[in-house]
Amino acid sequence: MGSNMLDSSGGLQGRSGLRRRTWLRWLPAAAAPVVIAVGTLTGSLPASAGDPLPAKTPAQVLEMVGTHQVLSFSGTLEQVADLGLPELPAAGKTSAPASPGSAASVIELLSGQHTARIYVGGKDNARVQVVDQFAERDVVRHGNDVWFYSSKDNTAEHLTLPAETRDSTSSKDAQGAPGVPAPGDLAQQFLSRIDPTTAVTVGPDVVVAGRSAYNLVLEPRTDATLVGKVAIAVDGHTGMPLSVQVTARGADKPAFRSGFTALSLDTPDQSLFSFTPPPGSTVKDVPVPAKTHEPTDAQHPGPPASPDQLLPQLEAKAHVSVAGTGWETVVGTAAGASGSAAASLLGDPLLAQAAVAVPGGRLLSTALLNVLITDDGRIFAGMVAPEKLQAAAAAAR
Amino acid sequence: MPSSLPAEIPQAAGTAPQAAPQRASKRSGSGAPGSGLSFLASELKVLFSRRRTWALLLALAAIPVLIAVAVKVSSAVPPGRGPAFLDRITQNGLFVAFTSMLVSVPLFMPLAVGVVAGDTIAGEAGLGTLRYLLVAPAGRVRLLLVKYVGALAFCVVAPLAIGLTGAAIGAALFPVGPVTLLSGGVVQPAEAAVRIVLIAAYIAVSLAGLSAIGLFLSTMTVVPVGAMAATVVVSVVSEVLDQLPQLEWLHPWLFSHYWLGFGDMLRQPVLWDSFGSNGLLQAGYVAVFGALAYGRFVTKDILS
Repeated sequence: MGSNMLDSSGGLQGRSGLRRRTWLRWLPAAAAPVVIAVGTLTGSLPASAGDPLPAKTPAQVLEMVGTHQVLSFSGTLEQVADLGLPELPAAGKTSAPASPGSAASVIELLSGQHTARIYVGGKDNARVQVVDQFAERDVVRHGNDVWFYSSKDNTAEHLTLPAETRDSTSSKDAQGAPGVPAPGDLAQQFLSRIDPTTAVTVGPDVVVAGRSAYNLVLEPRTDATLVGKVAIAVDGHTGMPLSVQVTARGADKPAFRSGFTALSLDTPDQSLFSFTPPPGSTVKDVPVPAKTHEPTDAQHPGPPASPDQLLPQLEAKAHVSVAGTGWETVVGTAAGASGSAAASLLGDPLLAQAAVAVPGGRLLSTALLNVLITDDGRIFAGMVAPEKLQAAAAAAR
Repeated sequence: MPSSLPAEIPQAAGTAPQAAPQRASKRSGSGAPGSGLSFLASELKVLFSRRRTWALLLALAAIPVLIAVAVKVSSAVPPGRGPAFLDRITQNGLFVAFTSMLVSVPLFMPLAVGVVAGDTIAGEAGLGTLRYLLVAPAGRVRLLLVKYVGALAFCVVAPLAIGLTGAAIGAALFPVGPVTLLSGGVVQPAEAAVRIVLIAAYIAVSLAGLSAIGLFLSTMTVVPVGAMAATVVVSVVSEVLDQLPQLEWLHPWLFSHYWLGFGDMLRQPVLWDSFGSNGLLQAGYVAVFGALAYGRFVTKDILS
């Protein structure tokens, strides 16, 4: 009896000690997720820059953008678009990009997430690599030679820029290859809209690609546009635009953002800018079009193309009628001139599917831009509500 | 050390008492017992002298052979059809390596790693040899570490087996020449071999997290098949979740998220971002499931 009692009490002591040790041994398992969670949270917090940037007025920031002298850099650009366009089967993760030139490829580039590496070395050298899974689309510019390469079908296209085009667009090209807007291009476009219609402020500093930047915020003064806010991050030291975010009215997350995730101001390796079509590839020479800019955009969409840039494309298509001003601008085309454009837009099965029937035509609706294709073949586009487009279509009739 | 071997029951059911001490002595026989490196060496020797391991490696190596032979006997593959790089094989045999590594990553690799990692602890427990391994003054933590390193060694060898077999069979059946990278540049075959090894390294890192999960599951049971199946199921579930656009917020946290990112090794210059993110993610999984396996294994009553 007595020995039994002793045994059991000893067992109890041992057991409680064991339990404490058991608890200790599960401690790492409990601690590891906590450490990871804390690490993730601190990593995702907007890192506050060590030295706050000197305060600047919007005009001073704009001037920095206008005069920045960054001609050589390399970086990784990430674009995330949530425009409300239909998710395409072709845009799935495992499949490679749609063939260039089709409307599907435009939508593909305008939806979802894309990563591109950008190398710019001086005025005449640029390379953009749109990184897809197991595929890549490259635009290489070396002097007057421009190469497009798609690894998916192993095709290379060559274009020789005429000298005068080069001159007229050289300031633009310092920011990116033709047809491939870098944040600089996008920022310039938005900045060019700055007029009494827009409230421009400088928000709290942001950190983009590890660099502290001024946050230039543009807010339309009207309620009639779909755009709620445009935020442009301007590098605090060089004045180079680093990211652009466009938020739709009433939304809390940007519908479109494009910005650097990594940036180096060193001159990239010159060998990146020489391109020789790989053996076995299909090489096509693209004739130089009379107006280089528009067809280049249409046939070889670079990574981003803001909804804004659809406007110049459409403008170039035909005789254009413009209604409204500022953010409420509606661009329309006349029936005869745009018949083919409308037909080709709707001829694309994907676009035809995306366009919903509305009174007076079919509507291609996104978070930031609406396009109305009327039954008689006219196209109206604007960053406004569909009703405005319908009104413009009725007025132009 | 009563706490390290609690509740030991000498007559464990269903074990082979003849074989068990023999195996245990074979392990510790190669060096001083308790020396970590010799323990590891003997574990690797046991792992890679096991017929099952060789069967797994042979099955993996059969993938490039099958692909190469299929492409050889069939007509030309049009570009853009089938898995990436398939259409390039007829021009350059080295693409067999890339294609076979690509097709093996979603299923065959996790399958093989699931078998090896799920077997680590549960296999010994199932054979009744786990007790003997712990009787040797090795300690449970060291045993766990050695078992995990053994599984990692398999993760390194498996993609290398596929890649090198692919390069060899491709060179045997097709012409070999400069390899066109995704960026449109070409590299010489020697540089391409470096890229194959880089991809193998990427895949090995990718599988580290799954191995840790397998190790943890292996400490949960004495039935090795259960741990293997559970590990494979976990990998499939992770891959399915990764395909659901509704769960986009979850995707960066899935251990299979970067598995197919090794195409970045085929760019010019190499894009290291996915390698880094993948390594970080896998390290997180190794930490969490390694800690779980530790908690489970050092507190568990070893019955067999």
